[in-house]
Amino acid sequence: MTYEEFADSRLTALLRYAVMLTGDPHQAQDLVQDTMVRVQLNWRRVARAESPERYVRRMLTNQYVDWRRGSWMRRVLLRGEPEESAPQATDHAQDAVERDQVWSWLARLPRRQRASLVLRYYEDLPDAEIAEILGCAVGTVRSSISRALATLRAEHVEVCS
Amino acid sequence: MTEDELRAAFARHESLTPPVGPLRAAVDRIVVRRRRRRRRLRVGAAALAVLGLLGIAVPRVVPSLGGHTAAAEFPADRVAPRGVLNVLLVGVDGAPDSRVRGADFVPRADSVLLVHVPADRSRLYLVSLPRDLMVAIPGHGTQKLNSSFQLGATASRPDLRRGYDLTRRVVADTTGVRIDAGAVLTYPVLRRLTDGVGGVEVCLPEQVRSVHTRRVFPAGCQRLDGTGSVDLLRQRYGMTWGAQDRDRNAQRYAAGLVRQLGSGDTLRNPVALSRLLVALGPDLVADTGEASLPELLTRTVQASRAAPVGLVLPTVEAPERPGSTVLDERAAPAFLSALRQDRLAGWVAANPDRVTALGAQR
Repeated sequence: MTYEEFADSRLTALLRYAVMLTGDPHQAQDLVQDTMVRVQLNWRRVARAESPERYVRRMLTNQYVDWRRGSWMRRVLLRGEPEESAPQATDHAQDAVERDQVWSWLARLPRRQRASLVLRYYEDLPDAEIAEILGCAVGTVRSSISRALATLRAEHVEVCS
Repeated sequence: MTEDELRAAFARHESLTPPVGPLRAAVDRIVVRRRRRRRRLRVGAAALAVLGLLGIAVPRVVPSLGGHTAAAEFPADRVAPRGVLNVLLVGVDGAPDSRVRGADFVPRADSVLLVHVPADRSRLYLVSLPRDLMVAIPGHGTQKLNSSFQLGATASRPDLRRGYDLTRRVVADTTGVRIDAGAVLTYPVLRRLTDGVGGVEVCLPEQVRSVHTRRVFPAGCQRLDGTGSVDLLRQRYGMTWGAQDRDRNAQRYAAGLVRQLGSGDTLRNPVALSRLLVALGPDLVADTGEASLPELLTRTVQASRAAPVGLVLPTVEAPERPGSTVLDERAAPAFLSALRQDRLAGWVAANPDRVTALGAQR
């Protein structure tokens, strides 16, 4: 597979995944951009992997989990572009409120926990594959997912009661 | 909150996903920029070494230097590894523009020049290998020498480095000469190199008319700029000996370049030199072999006490394949063994008629 074929078939999915991780289209764009530059520069190594897609998803997830102040995060935050592409809530007001709530709760989770939630509930991957992407044991994946869910449920109870 | 609610939240936010088109273009732009920077860093030192091989040897023997000699800058007493040095220069007929992706043009070797520096550093020998010479190309049977570059470069996509590697191997196999370093000279590199050193004086024994630009290069010495040099070095039609005459003109150009580097300011002025290297930058493919830069420079500092000598590998027209040549069975073995055993001075003395007149000799 060439880089071009890979980008043709997988870039949209990766960008969507990055949106779920970061919760923000601009940060997602920068995350994917940084990853894909490295992917293209090292394409021969990527293509040698058993599944290039899983390899790239792992690169992207690591970059997201390891992000530090001063790397791409700061560039995103200091850029100050208007949020022109963020769609406004178009459906019911109640939906919009709920969406913002779940979304903001997710934003407060540790990045590793959020990544495991996205991988299980958005990408629908089995725990073994999630563990491989995050580079940890299956047990660790399960415990961090259950901890993340517990945090979200606690928030939920607080708001709704 | 249930897991289904979480799934729904993710699904609803899919609409946040921005379009991929601009992102992909931005990635490609950054990659091109980084590759260019990486390549420039890598070839910088190599380019310096090749220029050193061509020219740094010369200031030492040019009388007008007024005591400021190359030997003073590169003390020869530090390390003085003595031994033969062979540098392969491959001139190719145009290069794929690195900025145009998917360009499927694959260059061929127009002229192949072996620069031989004898162990006694008495002078430089410029040995042309005819492009029509039938040679064994590993993996591709027997073909003309000029296609070795193309066959190597086509292995993946146009890749000058691979073209150089295969040509180097073929030349080493054919001549039995160890090749220590080398470079690929494309038209843009030649043009920028010529302009960068302030033009090169080329002395022609007879008039050359360009079939590409209709420019006429008169017999005698003339100073050419980059465009003029490339134009001249492309000409082979309408000349008495065709490609062989072009090879001799390449030798005349190289001799002029060596003179220019010796007399000009480029090599002694760090600003001018670095400007030249930046200009050559991303397009120059160079190979310094196993030698380090100071080693190469030290080994060549004393290389030239006299003007270079131009020679052509002795060949004859292939009897069964018109338009191609094979090694001259009478003259080639003696020439090649002289080249391998570093006895070219004796061979030249015995075969004065095989020396190319380079003109303006000092």
